[in-house]
Amino acid sequence: MILAADISPAVPTILLDICLLTLLVVTAFAIVRMRSLFAIVMLQGVYSLVAAAWFVTLDAVDVAFTEAAVGAGISTVLMLSAMLLADRKSTPVPKTRQWGALAVVFIAGAAMLFAVPDLPAYGSADSPANAYVGTDYLAKTAVEVDIPNVVTAVLSSYRGYDTFGEVVVIFAAGLGVLLLLGLNGNAGRYRAEVRGQRLSERAAPTGVSARDGTVAEDPPVDTTPVQAGGRPSVTGLDT
Amino acid sequence: MSSWFVTHGAAFIVVLPLLMAAITAVLPAVRRLAWFTALVVVSLVALVAFIVLQTQIDLGAFIYRMGGWEPPHGISLGIDAVNAPIALLIAAMGVATLVYAEPAVDSEVQRKKRAPFYAAFLLCVAGLLGMVVTGDAFNVFVFLEVSSISTYTLVAMGANRDRRALSAAFNYLILGSIGATFFVIGIGFLYAETGTLNMADMRQILANLDGGSRVAQVGFGFVLVGLGLKLAMFPLHTWLPGAYAYSPTAVTAFLASTATKAALYLLYRFMFTVFDPSFDYVAVTLTYVVTALAVIGMVFASLQALFQTDARRTLAFSSVAQVGYMLLGIGLISTLGLVGSYLHLINHAVVKGGLFLCLGAMWYRFGITRISDMAGLGKTMPITTAAFTVLAFSLIGVPFTAGFVSKVALAEAALERGWYWAVAVIMIASILALLYMGRMMMVAYFSPPPASALNSDGRVQRREAPLLMLVPMIGLAVTSVLIGVRGNVYLAEVSENAARVLLPGGGL
Amino acid sequence: MRIPVKPKPAKGPVVPPAGSDPHVLLRVISKFLIPLIALFAFYVQFHGEYGPGGGFQAGVILAVSIILYALIFGLAEAKRAFPPWLVRLGMTLGVLLYGGTGVVAWLLGGEFLNYSVLFPDPIDGQHYGIIAIELGVLTTVTSVMVAFFYAFGSRQPDIEDGDW
Repeated sequence: MILAADISPAVPTILLDICLLTLLVVTAFAIVRMRSLFAIVMLQGVYSLVAAAWFVTLDAVDVAFTEAAVGAGISTVLMLSAMLLADRKSTPVPKTRQWGALAVVFIAGAAMLFAVPDLPAYGSADSPANAYVGTDYLAKTAVEVDIPNVVTAVLSSYRGYDTFGEVVVIFAAGLGVLLLLGLNGNAGRYRAEVRGQRLSERAAPTGVSARDGTVAEDPPVDTTPVQAGGRPSVTGLDT
Repeated sequence: MSSWFVTHGAAFIVVLPLLMAAITAVLPAVRRLAWFTALVVVSLVALVAFIVLQTQIDLGAFIYRMGGWEPPHGISLGIDAVNAPIALLIAAMGVATLVYAEPAVDSEVQRKKRAPFYAAFLLCVAGLLGMVVTGDAFNVFVFLEVSSISTYTLVAMGANRDRRALSAAFNYLILGSIGATFFVIGIGFLYAETGTLNMADMRQILANLDGGSRVAQVGFGFVLVGLGLKLAMFPLHTWLPGAYAYSPTAVTAFLASTATKAALYLLYRFMFTVFDPSFDYVAVTLTYVVTALAVIGMVFASLQALFQTDARRTLAFSSVAQVGYMLLGIGLISTLGLVGSYLHLINHAVVKGGLFLCLGAMWYRFGITRISDMAGLGKTMPITTAAFTVLAFSLIGVPFTAGFVSKVALAEAALERGWYWAVAVIMIASILALLYMGRMMMVAYFSPPPASALNSDGRVQRREAPLLMLVPMIGLAVTSVLIGVRGNVYLAEVSENAARVLLPGGGL
Repeated sequence: MRIPVKPKPAKGPVVPPAGSDPHVLLRVISKFLIPLIALFAFYVQFHGEYGPGGGFQAGVILAVSIILYALIFGLAEAKRAFPPWLVRLGMTLGVLLYGGTGVVAWLLGGEFLNYSVLFPDPIDGQHYGIIAIELGVLTTVTSVMVAFFYAFGSRQPDIEDGDW
């Protein structure tokens, strides 16, 4: 029985937290049990949206904002685009191969639960995370950076180097997509060629039609890379 | 100018390759332009890394305040005797690999993709350096991601040689992401316990708490598993053979010599600087879990190496075994053990990088990936095979090579603690190394070259690797011998300084 | 070279004759929505100092407006508005803008990313520095998100309406 006088501001949000977390667990189980990739992608969007709502109740509005925009927005579209290039249904993984993953999940979960008794109470003002550097940021931002949103001050000034790293991470991901897919869907396939004489014809499949390596008619006299490099190196085998 | 590098060098070696990667990515597909840019950048980074190391030797440990903010509030880079040599090692291996990369990438990557390819390579170098020089636990994660994501791309580029590179890269992506997630969960727990992300600050607070509560212990576990995945600790190594075997040859050489080493450095940092072996849970984990995994890995991965048909997979499994040596040095929790581990880290970077360069050159000329195809290489590629032999001896641990120095150091450390069985395991793993490396050299020297490699008059035609490939591999082979002959003069001192910083109390 | 230009939900020509387009409602509404989404992105960008938000979220929202355009009006139209070469350049420019701010701080004698040295008044320096780097974040994030979509979308096989 909750008495009005006893209600700390945290109580209603805790009830909300429990609801949202239950929804998250249910969604996660649904995702795992699904076979239709389309439904999975949609449920992942739902998962992100619920997670975003949960972040709001945790007062992490910036994180919630990002989760909603990235998780529920962009990722869903990207997953759909990727799914359309693959199958519409996932093939079931044999049970025997699932035990390992299950064990990892259980052990990691148990380890986290092991730590719970010693974690500071949620929202406690004297927990290390709130009392030490966190409090300092609140005091220092007004003087040193002078912008109202402390989160922005921490992200872009105090820990600006981290944010720079994050931008580079995103750049690296973009670079990866550029290298592997190409922006026009024309990354093409290319078969690496030895600049000498291919002795090992039992090399691996390269996915390109039967165009063979440079099996020399007579042994080439000049084997400098420049000579071999004269061949057009972009086969641009667009499918 | 050089005084500017003394002050800002630690940041410069990370920022320069990051920014130049962005520029390199949009360079026009002019032959060699992207390669030349990358080479100049990494050479400059190696030079500045040397200045940083020199500064550290002259003035002692120092920190660099990013953005001008004081440590626990801002991010600081911390340079000391442990990471300054590793930063130089990474930059130097980057230079060696890039010199080799010009002909290799010319044959393995199509022209229009070379600029982004070198950009990804620069990102990988910058990410590894960023991980190594930083003094902030979360910043480690950020740069871990920079290097990992560029590495996944680079591995996948091996699909031009072998389509299996794609599944290897995917495998690596999944396991690497799990590792990074575990690591960041661990950092989260540590933040909950200490309220700070600065490593030096964390150490102080954890020491005051006498190791901290269960929260710190769980954080420790997650960090250990996360880093274990990244450095290919024995049962977590499954991503490694595929990634090494199928990625472009230059990438394999760079990864094998630096990626696992940077992760291993982080393990040193977290086990000995952030945490401390004087905490019970750290000592128990290192002595029983890490040592056990190290020993099992040394023997088991060496045996697996013995049964591979693919030369690069053999060396990849050998890498897992060599990581076992380095972990054994950590598990000993003694100054001597750390000296051995650190020495072996440096030596193995040089040796394995060189070996993969040699294998890459063999692929470049003959498309060889399998050991049985190496027949007659002693005659067709004498210089490459000679460098390969020298480096292989070093890997086995023949006297007067780098491997001997570090294996002896590790054996001495094990004897000091009375772990005779560990000495025996080192011997067994070395004998296994002799077998799997010897197998390749037997084929290369004593099998006749195939008929198709002969001239019309029946004489063997020499097809040596191009000069740009020969220079780095000979350089690394010579370095490994120099370490073996004179290593106890300079490198031993470097390792001892590092070990003293990591274990100021001298261990158990 | 094959450039698949099929809009995802709609099959057929990009602008079908009047009355026959099953997605006409979608087109009309999104024409109205897309500028608003882009405007909201800029609000999030420049209001980040006062409320939640910043370059990252703004970049994603701006990218969403472009992706929505591509979904409704076809990839070819979107590529005319925001060509792939610009996407590639944007990825680079954002990183350079961010890092460049740090380099300027270096040239002015401060540490990397020390915005306080950018202007005589350190507070001004912090303000303008943050604006500059947030613009860098916006540029890179928008470009990369659009790059992801272009990369996957350009390889799209034809989708029948019945598939949905």
